[in-house]
Amino acid sequence: MKQEQPTKTKKTKLPGGMLGLLMVIVFIVLFTYLSLNLKTIDFGYELQELIVLRDQLQEEIDKLKSDKARLLNLERVEKEVTEKLGYRYPQPEQFIKVFDTENQGDK
Amino acid sequence: MKLNSGERRRTFLIFIFFCLWVLLIGASLVKIQVFEYGKNLAKVQAQSNRTFTLHSKRGTIYDSSGEVLAISVKAKSAFLNNKDKADSLRIFNRILRQNIYLSRDDKQNIKKRIHQGDKFIWIKRKLSDAEYRRLKKTASVDQDRMQSGLDFIEEYTRMYPQNATACHILGGVGIDEQGLGGIEYSLDDILRGKNCKVKVVRDARQKAFKLQYLEKPQDGKDIYLTIDSSLQFFVEKELEAAVKKHNAKSGTVIVMDSRDGAILAMAGFPNFNPIDLKYTSPGVIKNKAISFLYHPGSTFKIILAATALEQNLCSPQQPFFCYNGVYKIKDQVLTDEKPYDYLTFEEIIIYSSNIGAARIGELLGRKKYYEGINRFGFGTQTGLLLPAEERGIVNPLDKWSGVSLDFLAYGYEIAVTPIQMVRAFNVIANDGCMIQPYIAKAIAGVVLKRAQPQKILSPGTVVRMKAIMEEVVKRGTGKTTRIEGIPVAGKTGTTKKISKNKSTMYYISSFGGFFPANRPRVTMFIVIDEPKGQFYGGDVAAPLFKSIAERLSIYLKIFPEVDKTNEIKL
Repeated sequence: MKQEQPTKTKKTKLPGGMLGLLMVIVFIVLFTYLSLNLKTIDFGYELQELIVLRDQLQEEIDKLKSDKARLLNLERVEKEVTEKLGYRYPQPEQFIKVFDTENQGDK
Repeated sequence: MKLNSGERRRTFLIFIFFCLWVLLIGASLVKIQVFEYGKNLAKVQAQSNRTFTLHSKRGTIYDSSGEVLAISVKAKSAFLNNKDKADSLRIFNRILRQNIYLSRDDKQNIKKRIHQGDKFIWIKRKLSDAEYRRLKKTASVDQDRMQSGLDFIEEYTRMYPQNATACHILGGVGIDEQGLGGIEYSLDDILRGKNCKVKVVRDARQKAFKLQYLEKPQDGKDIYLTIDSSLQFFVEKELEAAVKKHNAKSGTVIVMDSRDGAILAMAGFPNFNPIDLKYTSPGVIKNKAISFLYHPGSTFKIILAATALEQNLCSPQQPFFCYNGVYKIKDQVLTDEKPYDYLTFEEIIIYSSNIGAARIGELLGRKKYYEGINRFGFGTQTGLLLPAEERGIVNPLDKWSGVSLDFLAYGYEIAVTPIQMVRAFNVIANDGCMIQPYIAKAIAGVVLKRAQPQKILSPGTVVRMKAIMEEVVKRGTGKTTRIEGIPVAGKTGTTKKISKNKSTMYYISSFGGFFPANRPRVTMFIVIDEPKGQFYGGDVAAPLFKSIAERLSIYLKIFPEVDKTNEIKL
């Protein structure tokens, strides 16, 4: 009976190495969790910035599209060409009709 | 180390204080985290979460070649945060010095609202870039010393980069981008999209780091029209010149692809810039191509002739007595511009004899003619996806008087729209098939389904009608539309306007036709309302048809038939 008692106390105690390993694992898990959480928040900021940038670029595209259409507006082009460059529409007698007989017909 | 009693007491007191401090912190945490949990959570959410409405972008309208006709871009709108009336008035006076256009009513209204103490007052919505720059400067002056302030929010604004081009088709939108006319109105549900709610989570520095869509965002869908903006532009230009030349009240031109019914151009004059829609009178905004009701006059003889030939009641060479220019039926007298004794069926159309047409009508009979009119789609809408399209007026048979048949034979006692006329003329151009005209080609990249063509004329009738209509241009009333090398088929029309059952001194000149007559590519219909001086369709509308057709043939590469003797071989 006297010999069995120390064996009982041995069983309840965790070895010092195991405890250290457990603490390291817990630390690693907590560290990973925290760093991933921080990374997620960073990604959130980055994503938000990209969304804003995307919207700004889309806005710019729309404005450029509108500007392009405004600049290509035939009314404006005609005005520029006739008033600034002094061009005139050709008169019917100035047309010379040349027919491609090989590929004649509507195209 | 042994402690004396004084030291022990002090140590004990420190320990007690420490325990109390820990207890206090613990109690506070319990109070914050347990008892006031809901209240504090709401506080945090109010500070970090913002929910706002994200306005959807209205869809863009393109022409058939992808040119932008209408697009929404972001613009700033200025408002006054009216916390102090004196400050607000000072700011408003500064704004007025910045050369920002505001109407007299707007100015008075803003001042009135400042005095009333309204907290939020619009100064001007959808500013131009220059206006925004000027106002931004004003907003920054004395900003810290004033309670009231000028602020800005972003809104979408509709731009029409082609100005007045295709204005009657596009219509326009209101201040909140709601469709008010044209395709902007009829396809508003598709163009508008759906606003959505967005939750933004911010950190302590109010920097957003999470975006959560509470509703699915849905921007408006883009629409592709069949019209070609270049073609539309020069059709409008030619129409404007013609309306001004003849000092007419208004005019309309419809250019349609004969093969599939696509509207290539639909012009109206007077026109307007869609941005100025709210300052434009309803008469100008009205798209006359689809909502102008008028008596078609002699252009309607085409319907009569096609129906008569389809019924095999007569041949093109059959003669009809035309009563030498004066024909009495019941208490009415029909007259011709020139007196004719006998004219063949085709000559009646070529020289546009009213009496001859009445005689053909009498031969055809009421029922058959009425059926023919209905077969050509008169009295029904074309379903063009444009708002306010008129059905026209076709009286039912039981309401026809004793002279209705004769009048209907040359285009009176019926009201039609130009779009119905172009659809009817295209039946002959398109080998007897009636196709519904269409103006919207695709929505969000998906090509729209079109109605099936309906065969209403036999090939024999079509060949005869084409030949007659070609003769109208070669030697009849439509001589002014002749184009060298390109066969044109058409019919002129001149209608005396009728007001309160009495004829007036005003006329409507029209011309409908297609070219090249042997293989039609383009069907066109022109109506000029109340030209002064010359008023015959052949003098007013037909030359316009010619000038548009000449430019169109170059643009669409419709080459003249080759005269081999003067050919330059490539």
